[in-house]
Amino acid sequence: MEFKKRSVSEEIPTSSMADIAFLLIIYFMITTTFAATRGLDWALPQEDDNQQQEIEPEEAVLVEIQPSGELLVDQRPMEPGDIMEYLRPKLERNPQKPVIIRPDPSAPYGRMVEVFDELRGAEERENLKINISIPTQREIEMFWY
Amino acid sequence: MKKLRAQEESKAVIPTASMADIAFLLIIFFMLTFTIEVDRTQVTLPQTMIRNEVPKKAAMISVDTEGNIRVSDGEQMSSLVQPEDVLSFAAEVVATDPSKEFIIKADTDTPYRIVDGVIDALKQAKAQIIYLLSQQETTDGAAPAGGA
Repeated sequence: MEFKKRSVSEEIPTSSMADIAFLLIIYFMITTTFAATRGLDWALPQEDDNQQQEIEPEEAVLVEIQPSGELLVDQRPMEPGDIMEYLRPKLERNPQKPVIIRPDPSAPYGRMVEVFDELRGAEERENLKINISIPTQREIEMFWY
Repeated sequence: MKKLRAQEESKAVIPTASMADIAFLLIIFFMLTFTIEVDRTQVTLPQTMIRNEVPKKAAMISVDTEGNIRVSDGEQMSSLVQPEDVLSFAAEVVATDPSKEFIIKADTDTPYRIVDGVIDALKQAKAQIIYLLSQQETTDGAAPAGGA
């Protein structure tokens, strides 16, 4: 009796490859979220920082943020965009002039970020180095009173 | 009489041989850009002009308008903590990696006292650098569509 030899294909079946690939694509597309990945950097003062110095509120420019979000710069009502106009002559006289941002505990956080961004933006635009300080409530109670 | 040849049948086939190549290229793109989002708190971020890229594995502290605080070491999904536990979390992270960056993801309308507590905890834990997560400032002051 004669046996018939079955011919076996030497090719790897790849017809379903595209289906698998598209399934993976759909998975990645669904699970990918466009998360916010940018922000305002803030180097916190370190204890061994040589530049760190005690700042007396009297010799600094005090930017207070009221609970309503209004700004008081050295007791003068001001908009964030006007801070630099007020600050520039003071910095020309004393480049080390500290600027203290002191938000009220009830003030919106976004307002503090806005003021901080304004000062950081001015640093970049005008190639300045502003001595910005944002003390926490605990630090204020510890060192100011 | 000349015999007409039967019309040749043309098969309607869409060439799909390169489909897999294209699909795999797309997969590679998605795999490279894929990052696991460790925190999914819905917040409206403050708008800033200065926006620097935050490190991918930075620890994250999110604060919503109700004052709920969630923390993540950058590897695991964020979990809800009490305000007084932020310091121990930050201290633990800094002890593991003293140069670890922290991201504060807080809603723009959050009362500052809550964020102040978080910043104070980070200062006490001797964190070196923090990033205040923000969205791009628009010229008309309107928030772009979609939060974080």
